[in-house]
Amino acid sequence: MNDNRRQGTVKSAMLLGTMLGVMAAGAAAGHAADVNEVVGKANHAAYYQGTDGKARVSMVITDGQGRERTRDFTILRRDSSDGQDTEQKFYVYFNRPADVNRTAFLVWKHPGQDDDRWLYLPALDLVKRIAASDERTSFVGSHFFYEDVSGRNPSEDTHEILEETDNYYVLKSTPKDPGAVEFAYYKNWIHKTTFIPVKTEFFDKQDKAYRTYEALKVEKVDDFYTVVQSRMTDSNIGGSTTMSYSKVEYNLDLPDDIFSERYLRAAPRKYLR
Amino acid sequence: MPGTLDFYLEYTNLEITKLNTGGFSVVSGWPGWLWERWGARRKRDMEKRLMKLVMDWPGRIMAGVVLAAVVVLVLAVVPSVKPGLLPGLPSVRVDTDPENMLSADEPVRVFHNRMRGEFDLHDVIVVGVVNDSHDSGVFHVESLKEIYALAEYAETIRFSEEGGDGGGGREAGVIGADIIAPSTVDNIEQAGLGSVRFEWLMAEPPETEEAALAVAAKAANIPFLDNTMISGDGKALALYIPVTDKNISYQVAEKLRSKIAEFGTGSGNTYHITGLPVAQDQFGVEMFRQMAVSAPVAMLLIFILMWVFFRNLNLIISPMVVAMVAVILTMGLLVISGNTIHIMSSMIPIFIMPIAVLDAVHILSDFFDVYPRMKDRRRALEHVMDELWTPMFFTSLTTCAGFASLAFTPIPPVQVFGIFISIGVVLAWLLTVVLIPAYIMIMPEKSFEKFGMEHEHTASGWSLAGVLQKTGRITYHHARLILVLVLVAGAGAAYGISKIQINDNPVKWFEPEHDIRVADRVLNEKFAGTYMAYLTLQAPEVEGELTLDESMLAEAPESVRDALEPHLGKPLADLNEIILEKQDAAASDELWDAWEDAALLIGRRVQESDVFKLPEVLRYMESLQQHLLDTGLVGKSNGLTDVVRTVHRELFLGEQEAFRIPDTSAAVAQTLITYQGSHRPQDLWHFVTPDYRKANLWIQLKSGDNRDMQAVVEAVDEFMDDNPAPSGITHSWFGLTYINVIWQEKMVAGMMEAFIGSFVIVLVMMIVLFRSFWWGLLSMIPLTVTIAAIYGFIGLIGKDYDMPVAVLSSLSLGLAVDYAIHFLARSREIRARCSSWKEAVGLVFGEPGRAIARNVVVIGVGFLPLLLAPLVPYQTVGFFISAILVVAGAASLIILPAVLRLAEPLFFRKAAEKQDTDNH
Repeated sequence: MNDNRRQGTVKSAMLLGTMLGVMAAGAAAGHAADVNEVVGKANHAAYYQGTDGKARVSMVITDGQGRERTRDFTILRRDSSDGQDTEQKFYVYFNRPADVNRTAFLVWKHPGQDDDRWLYLPALDLVKRIAASDERTSFVGSHFFYEDVSGRNPSEDTHEILEETDNYYVLKSTPKDPGAVEFAYYKNWIHKTTFIPVKTEFFDKQDKAYRTYEALKVEKVDDFYTVVQSRMTDSNIGGSTTMSYSKVEYNLDLPDDIFSERYLRAAPRKYLR
Repeated sequence: MPGTLDFYLEYTNLEITKLNTGGFSVVSGWPGWLWERWGARRKRDMEKRLMKLVMDWPGRIMAGVVLAAVVVLVLAVVPSVKPGLLPGLPSVRVDTDPENMLSADEPVRVFHNRMRGEFDLHDVIVVGVVNDSHDSGVFHVESLKEIYALAEYAETIRFSEEGGDGGGGREAGVIGADIIAPSTVDNIEQAGLGSVRFEWLMAEPPETEEAALAVAAKAANIPFLDNTMISGDGKALALYIPVTDKNISYQVAEKLRSKIAEFGTGSGNTYHITGLPVAQDQFGVEMFRQMAVSAPVAMLLIFILMWVFFRNLNLIISPMVVAMVAVILTMGLLVISGNTIHIMSSMIPIFIMPIAVLDAVHILSDFFDVYPRMKDRRRALEHVMDELWTPMFFTSLTTCAGFASLAFTPIPPVQVFGIFISIGVVLAWLLTVVLIPAYIMIMPEKSFEKFGMEHEHTASGWSLAGVLQKTGRITYHHARLILVLVLVAGAGAAYGISKIQINDNPVKWFEPEHDIRVADRVLNEKFAGTYMAYLTLQAPEVEGELTLDESMLAEAPESVRDALEPHLGKPLADLNEIILEKQDAAASDELWDAWEDAALLIGRRVQESDVFKLPEVLRYMESLQQHLLDTGLVGKSNGLTDVVRTVHRELFLGEQEAFRIPDTSAAVAQTLITYQGSHRPQDLWHFVTPDYRKANLWIQLKSGDNRDMQAVVEAVDEFMDDNPAPSGITHSWFGLTYINVIWQEKMVAGMMEAFIGSFVIVLVMMIVLFRSFWWGLLSMIPLTVTIAAIYGFIGLIGKDYDMPVAVLSSLSLGLAVDYAIHFLARSREIRARCSSWKEAVGLVFGEPGRAIARNVVVIGVGFLPLLLAPLVPYQTVGFFISAILVVAGAASLIILPAVLRLAEPLFFRKAAEKQDTDNH
């Protein structure tokens, strides 16, 4: 019944790259050098390719009963100029469904501390700051968390290499503050040549994998290997969300000022086309 | 108590057989004719052949019966003890689910299950936590630490072995994602500087008392949690723990209990575990206690009573064997045939036992009366069986018919109960006529001798005898007064019946001091209510497919109109892709924007069908919710409206005036997308379907009484009639509390039909038996009076007409008519020997009267152990069955003679004449 509402589809063959991925791993002090290196490279491959980027995302949320909902949005990203894979800004602009058109999120990512987040709701004519003490809340009702979209800071976990296969490093990452997250640990399958995390499994305290991220399609855009389709499945709540990226572009020279509260009410249409 | 045997000797020596085969054999009318031509002869043939078989081969008969019992027992028990050993046979299955009062394909159940699926709702265990030893209730550091640990623990309760095959879906256990507890729900609140914050209400247990109190304040500020998770007084908490399947709720509750036990008493918390699924599972446990305790106690009581009456072990063992074998065979067949042990069927043993014992006692008593005269057990037995064949046959048949009538109720467990008791009654009759004679044939001849001597004693001076004689005289001299009193009592009963409250509540099946009832009281006092019902509001199906029409084209930006025109009449769903392509190819930003506007136009048209985003629809829901609250029966209702209003309030600085439905559906949608940025966006789908065509109000009632649910249903009907819903929205109910109302309605109507049906059947049987319309009608009087008295009494004392009470009418039908048969048959026989009723009364109130009185004692007491049962329905049945027996006995002994006295010519002249003609 909801399928006929899907607006905007993806011609994935044409699409190359994105800056969205899930779960890199991070360099934690005191661990074997190669773990740090792998984690750092994976974090970079997932979230920091190019100095900025843009993509149109079509999100299909399928619940445990197979009912689908869709959300189409455009996402803009700009990294801080220090080239250290740290500060980032995101602008998420909703195209569809029609009743949330022009709704927008602004995120200033500050690794190591709380992000700044703003929300613009056009129908209520309201710009609201969201105090985000916890990044592990749903991203607009999907199975992805905010943290999955913007990237989990690698220094929040300790990492170890469980296994090295022909194609993958299999990492196990354990949170330093277990009380702050709902998982006990996660495993990451990182592709050896591209360092793209292709699969992440989250485990609960009973060692049961309940939440799985998968990169479904990877393509090369402007020399960057980019995940253009990914899926998050959650057996605790049932169902999954698939994100498909189109019109991926890197290094657009996006101006810093469009990532400000002012541009929430007046969307930078030029960059959102 | 020497001489007590006489009652039985006289009572059972009814000589109805003589009525049928001897003295009154030429009664006119077709039933009598039919009996003469066919019934009587057939009966004699069957009886003679069977008795010859039994007496020729008593040992083999006994062995055969025992073997049959053993085989049935093995077939019934082995599949449960050693699964797989006997493939194809079902194991013992217990069913305590009130839902099963309706058959699985009943529309209301089908709808219930479909809606539960659509809204992803599960059965819920409620854990209430109160703390009276602390000023702030449970909101202090120690208490919250425990509650936090309990919720953490609850999430881990899973049974992967459950179901064996893995089930294909979720594992069995607690559905962690849906637990409602301070640590598992979100708080939304102001975070200063115009910020709004989503966070776990209690991410970890607070370290300070201030922080603990803050948890209470935050929870009370969220309408969804207020009065649901946190009590109205802000001092208690209720955790809602959904389970995948209600059949594991007892296991889950046990695990929670053992976790709670680990906490000790340091915090002062008291935990109450309740909720319908726990109650049901608990009920199953108590049910077996009932079967394990009440049934053996009944057996023992009957045994003791017979010992008091007969003082002979040899004599009383055989009826016990008959009862035991009848119970084993009936319950065995129940299990083997794949039926479940349900609250109703668990009562089968205790019903069969007294009924089974009585027929056996008849034979034995009569035998020991006859034996001393004949001094030949075979001849004595033949004589006894010939005499008793018909009365036993008819009393068994009427009892059987009474219970069998339950098969016509629309309630499957009641049908099973009725059918298997009927089977048990038939089995008991068969076992009696087979086993007792066989038993007698096997006993050593010398063991009979002393009974003959006991028989020499008479019952003179016995006080019961005196009372009965007095009663007899009163019925003769004050017959008119008696009938007037009966009419007055009848008027009282009619008044009582008019006052009957039809009501039931499965939680009240437990005794008032049972843990479940205590939890029920405490939680319903402090919270909005633990009884759940769901009201679904549904927009009509969208007909046809939305297509691009002229009006939309006219609204579209001019620059794209030409490009859109060829697509007129195309489904809107197909246009998205086309527009996206055009948009990609747009040469200018202006054209790109124009296509964007066209796409939004189409999107908005499609979304017009999202009726539960429409402000007017949500406001209608608001007023409906208010109306529900105004009934006083609904503690609270939770719905989409509450989600929208709460988020809207927090978006606007938490001001109370912003606690409202926003003015456009886009504003509603954006409020909801904000909500979906929380930890639990999936909660939304408990209240609305993703297509926004169906919404669900979760209604918390403080009472699970069907009567109250019924009142709420009517209040909603009334509201929806007076205030037609926008967008053609219709409503329907589901939830266990509502299902209870439906099966109750069906049961009341069904029991009435079953009763009327079996009343007619028994009446016909009586007319056949007595071969007289008037005598047949007369024999129905004690039954009618009993029913009126019992139901009048129930109405007057305000006892609810519930499931067990409904079943009573058919039970009375089966039992009360027995007395009438015995009394009237004996009266007619005695009157035939006397010149007048006046002369006959004294004799009738001799042995026959005493026999009936004694009979009342044996069966009445036999049912009393049900009062020991820990569950109220059993107590109700136990009490009222005993009451029915007393009233029916009294009605037979008082009203029947009074009627006979006043209508003597009607009942006896003809008989006397016949007697005369016969003698000539």
